[in-house]
Amino acid sequence: MQSSSFIATALMAGAAAALAPAATAQAQNAYVIGVTAALTGPPASTYAPAIDALRIYIDRLNKAGGVNGKTVSLVIQDDSAEPSKAAANAKKLLTQDKAVLMINASLSSTYAPVVAESKNAGVPLLFASSVCPKAVYPPAEAGQFCTTAFAANYDSRASLAFIKETAKEPVKIGFSAMAIPLSRGEIDFAESQAGPLGMTPVDKEIIPPPTADYTPFATKIKDAGANWVFSWAPWVTQVRTFEALRRLGWSGDYVTWAHLEAEGELKRIKDGKLYVVGANALFEDNLPIQKEIAAAVKEAGGKYPADQMTEGWIAGMVIEAALKGAGANATAAKIQESMQNLKVDLKGLRGGPIEWTKDNHFRTRQYYRVYRWDGTKIAVVKDWFAYDVK
Amino acid sequence: MQLLVNIIVLSSIYALIACGYVLIYRVSRVLNLAHGELMMLGAYLLLTTASLFNGNPWLAIGAAVVLSLAVGVMVYVFLMRKMTGEMVLAAVLATVALGILLRGVMVLVWSAQQQYPGQAMGFTSTALALPGGARISLFAAILVGVTALTYLALFVFLRFGRWGVRMRAAGQNPLLAAQRGINLHGVYALAWGLSTLTGSLAGMLIALDSGLTGSMAIIGLKAFPAALVGGLDSLIGALIGALIIGASEVLSIQYIDPLLSDVVPFLVLIAMLIARPWGLFGTREELDRV
Repeated sequence: MQSSSFIATALMAGAAAALAPAATAQAQNAYVIGVTAALTGPPASTYAPAIDALRIYIDRLNKAGGVNGKTVSLVIQDDSAEPSKAAANAKKLLTQDKAVLMINASLSSTYAPVVAESKNAGVPLLFASSVCPKAVYPPAEAGQFCTTAFAANYDSRASLAFIKETAKEPVKIGFSAMAIPLSRGEIDFAESQAGPLGMTPVDKEIIPPPTADYTPFATKIKDAGANWVFSWAPWVTQVRTFEALRRLGWSGDYVTWAHLEAEGELKRIKDGKLYVVGANALFEDNLPIQKEIAAAVKEAGGKYPADQMTEGWIAGMVIEAALKGAGANATAAKIQESMQNLKVDLKGLRGGPIEWTKDNHFRTRQYYRVYRWDGTKIAVVKDWFAYDVK
Repeated sequence: MQLLVNIIVLSSIYALIACGYVLIYRVSRVLNLAHGELMMLGAYLLLTTASLFNGNPWLAIGAAVVLSLAVGVMVYVFLMRKMTGEMVLAAVLATVALGILLRGVMVLVWSAQQQYPGQAMGFTSTALALPGGARISLFAAILVGVTALTYLALFVFLRFGRWGVRMRAAGQNPLLAAQRGINLHGVYALAWGLSTLTGSLAGMLIALDSGLTGSMAIIGLKAFPAALVGGLDSLIGALIGALIIGASEVLSIQYIDPLLSDVVPFLVLIAMLIARPWGLFGTREELDRV
């Protein structure tokens, strides 16, 4: 199965090269969307499934007739999470492919060149599955938008609020982050909030990526006497710290962010004290939209499980709505205008709609839900609760 | 006690990886900068054999081990052999290119998502209780044992084995060795095969213990200071170097700052390069010839 998908990919690449002139001609009658994404490289597991989902969504959209009678041409470039490659991708997508909307799904280190190129070209930029930059929060900068679930500071507030509600004894809290600016910044923020909430921070481990053995870090957290641990980092750091703690015999509660991998991992680990706080509904909910996603992924032969597709699917829904609002003769400016006044019903994939205004390109309300393994299945521990984004 | 266990486990990981660097350098003077990727490939091969031989984990492990050895031999036959007679730098750059190629191919074939070969084989990574209240995961304990056995086997092989002696001869003076009828290509192919095998064993055991992601290749690079500190042409040096690097990393996590754990091995390396560029157990003559 794996090797056949590799051969299929190689054949598709060859066919794409052979049909390039035809594709260019077709692109003139299509909305061209440029994507620079970390499809390879160390953090690819966070971004590649989202872009696979977006590709499936757009293919399906085109089969159904496209938007405003036009097809959508998704031009995807791999940047391996390297800023120099992202810069070259952005230049190529904007000047050669004439993209009218840019998408970044990569590490934050790639943002600066992509933002600069998009700004120069006057093309709106959507962050999808990559962390939302400050520029999308109120007061938002023109031209930058974000659909990604996780949100700095809000995530820590939600997680700590959950711990405070759930803990039955005084909370001695340990923290775990990856040694990247975003994760460290969030954990520093969480540590600063823990004290005022009546918790005692006992240890904070900033773990370099990648690490051969997480046990030395887990040993420190355990020895510090933590009965709760909060981790906000790429999934690999979150889950490996947790598993190392369990191997050391630690029996406390662990709260962490529900990345794309969370659903499959909760089923694998089956630990009732591992809580995931997230903004996306897990497929355990079995919503009609989730069934639709699962069927589409199966039909398209997606590389990743359906339960990792939510981020990319939401990006697809938002792009479709933005293009619809911009009309058949949409220019980049019209798409940007449409995005600045957008409300998309996510059909239960999140607690509420994505709503963008002129000043808020993140969302007006950020919803959270908490899940855990209840012994037989994944269960909701705390249902949707929200924070106003101001 | 837990601190000691942590040092032993991390040092064993680095030692098992580092001996691969040493084997190839000792025989052919080439720094294999694709060693991390080859290590990761070994882990992915285990994932594949685990699904191929579903329900028969030992057959899966055996097949993955044989395939890893074969991959190393093929790397030599189809790539490094063409570098014969070229500058060492050209061969090193070829390994860099090989690493980049392998990383891309692995994502295409196995995708970027986190994988668990242990789960596919029906293994669960339990923890073992040790004296003094310390604990160690089952696969970490196996890794320590495999590292010890690997080094023991390599020492015996290089000291007493016919092909081991040939490898040492080829490493010391390839021209003379060739004149004495030693098949240099055979020796080099064996060195690449063994090096890839030891790296793959490390990759497989890490993957069985804590899973497999596309970033595993970087762990291979983190073991590089261990080989350099010990001396690139010395197996005992790789062992001691791994212990120094592993201990410095774990102790800096415990007593200074976890963030320093990434930096300290390279500080040790720089100090070593300044004081004794050929490493603790390396020979000066060998380094002059690079």
